[in-house]
Amino acid sequence: MNSNVASVKLVLLGEAAVGKSSIVVRFVSNDFSENKEPTIGAAFLTQRVNIDDHTIKFEIWDTAGQERFASLAPMYYRNAQAALIVYDVTKPQSFIKARHWVKELHEQASGDIVIALAGNKVDLIEENGENERKVATEEGQKLADEENLLFFETSAKTGYNVNEIFLAVGDKIPLKRPNDNANENGSGNNQNSSRVQLTDANANAANAGNCSC
Amino acid sequence: MLNAERRPSVAERRSSFLSGSLQNSMNIPVVPHLAGIEDPLPETTPDKVDVLIAGTGMVESVLAAALAWQGSSVLHIDKNDYYGDTSATLTIDQISNWVNEVNSGTSSLSVCYTNAKLYISKSLRHSNTYVSRDFGIDLSPKILFAKSDLLSILVKSRVHQYLEFQSLSNFHTYENDSFEKLTNTKQEIFTDQNLSLMSKRNLMRFIKFVLVWDEQPEIWQQYAEKPISDFLVEKFKLENNQLYELIFSIGLCYNLDVKTPNALQRIRRYLTSFDVYGPFPVLYSKFGGPGELSQGFCRSAAVAGSTYKLNSQLLSFNPTTKEAVFKDGSKIKVEERVIVSPTQAPLDSKNIPKQEYEVHRLTCIVEKSCSEWFGEGESAAVVVFPPNSLKSNNRTVVQAFIVGSGTESCAKGTCIWYLSTVETGPRAELDLDAALEALERSIIRESSTDLENENDLIQLGPNGQTIINSVKLGQSFKEYIPREKVQFLLKLYYTQFTSTPPFDVVTPSVFEFSKEWPKDSSLLVPGASDNNIVYTSMPCAEISYDDVITAAKVLYEKIVGSDDDFFDVDFEDEDIPTYQNNGDVQYQNTFEEDDEEDEARDMDIVENEEPMGEMEI
Repeated sequence: MNSNVASVKLVLLGEAAVGKSSIVVRFVSNDFSENKEPTIGAAFLTQRVNIDDHTIKFEIWDTAGQERFASLAPMYYRNAQAALIVYDVTKPQSFIKARHWVKELHEQASGDIVIALAGNKVDLIEENGENERKVATEEGQKLADEENLLFFETSAKTGYNVNEIFLAVGDKIPLKRPNDNANENGSGNNQNSSRVQLTDANANAANAGNCSC
Repeated sequence: MLNAERRPSVAERRSSFLSGSLQNSMNIPVVPHLAGIEDPLPETTPDKVDVLIAGTGMVESVLAAALAWQGSSVLHIDKNDYYGDTSATLTIDQISNWVNEVNSGTSSLSVCYTNAKLYISKSLRHSNTYVSRDFGIDLSPKILFAKSDLLSILVKSRVHQYLEFQSLSNFHTYENDSFEKLTNTKQEIFTDQNLSLMSKRNLMRFIKFVLVWDEQPEIWQQYAEKPISDFLVEKFKLENNQLYELIFSIGLCYNLDVKTPNALQRIRRYLTSFDVYGPFPVLYSKFGGPGELSQGFCRSAAVAGSTYKLNSQLLSFNPTTKEAVFKDGSKIKVEERVIVSPTQAPLDSKNIPKQEYEVHRLTCIVEKSCSEWFGEGESAAVVVFPPNSLKSNNRTVVQAFIVGSGTESCAKGTCIWYLSTVETGPRAELDLDAALEALERSIIRESSTDLENENDLIQLGPNGQTIINSVKLGQSFKEYIPREKVQFLLKLYYTQFTSTPPFDVVTPSVFEFSKEWPKDSSLLVPGASDNNIVYTSMPCAEISYDDVITAAKVLYEKIVGSDDDFFDVDFEDEDIPTYQNNGDVQYQNTFEEDDEEDEARDMDIVENEEPMGEMEI
């Protein structure tokens, strides 16, 4: 299992209250994947997904509110292999903001980032009728076509298309074998051979005092 | 202060959320307190906070994260549109703007920096090859010792998960016009052909002592106020070149006069860091040093609920009403304390501590990979120029931190050279220039392919591998006339001021203040916009991060009452068994790096079998 696990950093973007966090909570708590329990640390949410013969471990970064005052750090975009831009189909303003995030990603993120666009809260339309809809499906699709984005209308509430959008992202991520990474430049990967894992010290720590004497 | 006064920790605050979330949903597991996940965050800044911090440098960012996880509400602002402040990692465009601001003389930046001179080559300015964002230039570059307080905090706080670290094993000492690679392991000491048997013995005896030096005061006590060089010569009979390596490369001291205990501490720092993660003493973070780490700690603080606002400048603080006013007209009430970096001081400040010590820096981007200086698979090196090793007859060490494109701080085929010295006045720039020239000559010589007498310089080892003979390399330096020149894409000189003297890591007196807001108004400076603000110190000259945690802890203790729970965070993936998967993942990564461990073990075996290790005088 550990030979075929690829870590994928996915960043969430979208206006406040469009449900970007709910989509992730829905995704990491669903039981469609083999590994049911999401792993949660203070750093990011993670979820494993099996696609064909390999496993993708999504490391999902939330903005932690730093986008509110245009204060997202470059670190947020750094080495992101995927991004999920969320808007609310009942709020036109959130769709304008989604366009802004697409532009921001083209400027800040690496060129080969896989971007998915989610028109969320379609459950509101099912409940309250088409009048509730303020962003047409075609509009979302058009933006996606222009910018080469994956596009789904979703509902974090019912789970509609939530798994699908993450699976589609996973499908589109170019697979890298560990050996290919040696000369990899830029579109980074956690399996980088020169990377030092700081949690590895325990193995050596006991010896550390003696090693040089 | 008393525990009763303390605010509840994050864990305490969170318990209600935990039980609530369990009741409300059947299949949604416990989600940690992640800002933005519980509730949409308001689009406005809060009306009041416990602590306001201005400036997102290393110390301020660590402090913000520590306070946030402790349970304090924090508003963390920066007047710049980027993170990092005095620790920032900047693009070429940002560096240009920064230099203009320093030289404008109108900003508080001019109190902290002076004499900024920037040269950008035409090929960088109008190039299709490079873009501004290819480069990340650190304003105060740092290396991270593998055994240090910052490293423990990085792991404990999980901030290391946001970052990538690489190893640095090559420390070069510049002597007799050439680079000597440091003999830093026991194994290398034993195999070094240039060391006599007696030297080896003396050196080993010293290394054994220094690892436990503080437990043996009887050996060094009489040298407590004397220079380390006297101690090493008189007590351990070490020779000059060994002194230089120990004091300047391993100890990273600035001159031979450094006091014995100070230097012993620093020499041990290097030796105990060796082999913690592998056969190297220090690490550095990819994409930039303190600038990256600051962003990591700010993100951590944000996850714990702090509010972040770049492009926001503090105009004034009124200690009576506790009201802070910002440039955009907004206001906030600050319950506990306002912490401000000197670079972010409001106009009409009258309380900024005196920044009386100088650090002179010269940063260059060269169009060469400089991989000749790096260890195998590595992308950085440290070069130390001891006193009197340069044409300028330098009295003080010049330290150079070399960062290659493998760190992704610069474009492929380029390299960043960070030179610095604590020499003062005009001599400093002469020393920096002399060191730059030495680096330039050396890299041309080492990377040159058109050598006339190549056979003299490169010797083949018994297994056919090339061994560069450093002695001969040194000789040929003097005769060598470079045919090419190093192309400089950028050169940046500046002087940075700090309140921390060379060798100290913090000046606690800077942070002296009472926990209570003063009731005595005579303590306030009339007309000042910054009464009762606590200023952090500017980064010190130290090339390691050793000052950061100490400074952040001092401030934390002053605000919270004690530093007992500094980053004492229970992350839920430790508390709840179902989340142990996270640990598994870490171990998987561990096994991927088995090679390094094996090497380390091999080395131990070699050392144990070496009979001379048992010899005593």
